[in-house]
Amino acid sequence: MEESFGDLKKGQKNCQRTVHCHVPCQGYFAPQKIEEALEILSKYGKEIKIIAGGTDLLVQYYDRLYEINHWLDLKNIQELKEINITQDEMEIGAMVTHTQLETSEDIKKYYPVLSQAAADIGSPQIRNRGTVGGNIVNASPAGDLLAPLMAYNAQFRLLSTTQEEKLVSAEEFFIGPKKTILEPAQLLTQIILPLPSERTYGSWIKIGKRKALIIAAITLALVVEMAEDHKTVKDVRTCLGSVAPTPIEIKEVKKKMAGKNFNQLDFKQLGQIVEDKISPIDDIRGTREYRKDVAKKIMIKALEEIDESMRGEEVI
Amino acid sequence: MKKRGRGIATIMFGFGYGEGFPDHSIASAEIEEEGKILIRTAAADVGQGILTTISQISAEVLKVKPEAIQIIPGDTHLTKNSGSSSATRQTFFTGNAVKEASEGLLSNIYHYASIEFRSNHVELGIKGGYIFRKDNPNNQLSYWELAERVKARGDNLKAESSFFPHTDKPDPETGQGEKLYVAYTFVTQIIDLEVNTDTGIVEVLKVYTAADIGKAINPKNVEGQIEGGTVQGIGMALMEEQIIKEGITLNPDLTGYLIPTSMDTPHFITRLIENEDSEGPYGAKGIGEPATIATAPAIANAIYDAIGVRIYDLPITPEKILKALKEKVKFTSEGWLGL
Repeated sequence: MEESFGDLKKGQKNCQRTVHCHVPCQGYFAPQKIEEALEILSKYGKEIKIIAGGTDLLVQYYDRLYEINHWLDLKNIQELKEINITQDEMEIGAMVTHTQLETSEDIKKYYPVLSQAAADIGSPQIRNRGTVGGNIVNASPAGDLLAPLMAYNAQFRLLSTTQEEKLVSAEEFFIGPKKTILEPAQLLTQIILPLPSERTYGSWIKIGKRKALIIAAITLALVVEMAEDHKTVKDVRTCLGSVAPTPIEIKEVKKKMAGKNFNQLDFKQLGQIVEDKISPIDDIRGTREYRKDVAKKIMIKALEEIDESMRGEEVI
Repeated sequence: MKKRGRGIATIMFGFGYGEGFPDHSIASAEIEEEGKILIRTAAADVGQGILTTISQISAEVLKVKPEAIQIIPGDTHLTKNSGSSSATRQTFFTGNAVKEASEGLLSNIYHYASIEFRSNHVELGIKGGYIFRKDNPNNQLSYWELAERVKARGDNLKAESSFFPHTDKPDPETGQGEKLYVAYTFVTQIIDLEVNTDTGIVEVLKVYTAADIGKAINPKNVEGQIEGGTVQGIGMALMEEQIIKEGITLNPDLTGYLIPTSMDTPHFITRLIENEDSEGPYGAKGIGEPATIATAPAIANAIYDAIGVRIYDLPITPEKILKALKEKVKFTSEGWLGL
C-alpha cells in the first residue's frame, strides 16, 4: 500500500507533464466571483478548461479526461445563474440552465421561441445540467438555442482582465462548426436580449428523427415584429440551425417581408427563398436534399402558425 | 399535412432452438431454512422476468406464497445448465424444469410425511407450507419441520428435474418435419399512425396486439414483454440504421444509432389469448421475440394506407418517405400528362 501511495505522490508532482493524471491536479478552481474566474483564466489561458453543465464537454472528453490538467468550474458563481430584466432588455446569466429557460415566466412571455427551444433540448437530466452559455460557446451548428438567440438579436457579453468588456452579436460570435471568436482568456458572462415589442410573434420548429434526446436535423426560429397598425410587417428574423457551419439568418426573407401587409404574403415563395438560400450537407442526421425540402415546408408552417396566433388575438 | 393510416400484420413463431437441437433446462427445488424454498437454475433474467415467472410456478405447485421462493440464478458452482436466455425459450423450458422439480419436491414431501404420519398420501392435505392428516388437520407439520426430520434420517428433502423435449431435424430437401419446434406463438398487431407529409416523420399512435401465448403466468409481465418488444419493433421499422461510409460506421453509438425513447412510445391495447394448448408450464408459450416481429410490417402497411407509397427497406426514415412522396407526385403527374 505504501508503495502505491508513493507512486501517487510522484504522479501528483509530475502531473502537469504526465498524460496520466489520476489525482486532482492543482488546477481545479471553483471561484465565487466573476473577477476571480477572470484572474484564473488570464493565468492559465489555453491550459484550462471551463466547465459549466458539462453536457457537451464531458461527452467530448469521455475517454480522455486525463488530457485536461486544469479546470475552471463556474458552478459557484451565483451572478451567472440569474435572469434579470431591466427597462428595455433581458440579461441571462451564462450558467442559466435549459430548465430555467424553459420554465421562466419572463422568458416564456418575451421570448417564447427561446423557451420552446430549451424545452426541446435532450432530456430532463440534460436540461437540468446544460446551460445557455455552454450551448453558445460549444458552437455546434445544431445547438438548439443558437437560432432562437440570433432571431431575438442576442448579444453576448465577453469579459477578460486585460480587455474592455465586449458585446458581440451572434453573427459575429460564431465563425464555424465549434468555432467562435472567444479568446482563451475571455469568459462569456451574460446574454443580452432587447425586449421585443408587444407586436412580436414567433415560431419554433425543430426537426429530428425522434421526439427526445435528438440532435436536430434542422431548426427554425422565426420572429416577426409587426408595425403599430398590426398589419404591416416591421421586422423579421429567419434563423436556422443545422443547415450551415454556424446558425444563420436568411436576410432575403426580411427584404421580401418588411413593409408588406402580412395577409398578402406568399408563404410558398418565402419558403422557397429559405430552401434556395441554405446549403446544408449530407450527414447522419439528414441528407442535403431532405434538409432543403424540409426547410421550405417548415418555413411555410412557421408563417402559418404566426398567422394563426395573430388571428387568434383578433378574435379576442 | 398529417395523414393517418392503419396497418395489420400477423406472425407465427416457432420458439426454442428446435430442429433437433439438444435444447433443455435443469432445475432443482429444496426446502431451505427460515421458511424458504430454494430453486436453483442457470436461467438468466435479463429483464424479461423469468425469475418472477418460475417463483410463481414453484409457489403454485408447492402451495406457498411466491415470497417463500428463493432463487440461486446463474451460478456456475451452484446451478446446472438451463440454456440461454434466447430463442424465446426460458418460460417454456426452465418453467417446465422448475415445475417438474417442484412436483418432485412435493412428491417427496408426501412421501416422507406419510412415514411421519404413519399414513398414506391420499389421506394427507397440503396448505400454506403445511402438510396434515385430513382426518385430524390439527396434526400438522410444516415443510421445514419435516425437512429437519428427514435430515435426521440422513436424507434430504429436495428434487431435481430436467426438461428435454424432442424436436425433429427438418428434411434438408423440403425443410419440413414432424415436430420442428416445441410450440408456436401467434401474434397479430394493428397499428394506427400518422405521417407528416411535410417532414416525412411518422408518429405511431396506437398499437393493438392480440397474442396467443397459451397461458399468461404473469399477465403484467407478458404485457410488458409485448410493449417492450413492440417499441424495439418500432425502432427497427423507423429508426435503427447503421450508416456505413467507405467501410466505417458513422454512428457507432446511441447518439447516432437511434432507438425510440419513452416520448416515442405509443398507446398500447393488448389482449392475451390463453388456450393453454402447449406442453409448456400450465400451457404457456414464449412471447419474447414474437412481440417484436409483427410491428415493422404492420407499420409499413399503415404507412402505405396513409400515403399510398410502399417502402420495402427498413428503417422507413423521413428521407425515404419524402423521396417516395416526391416520386409518386412525379409519376402521377407524368401519368396524367400521358393521358
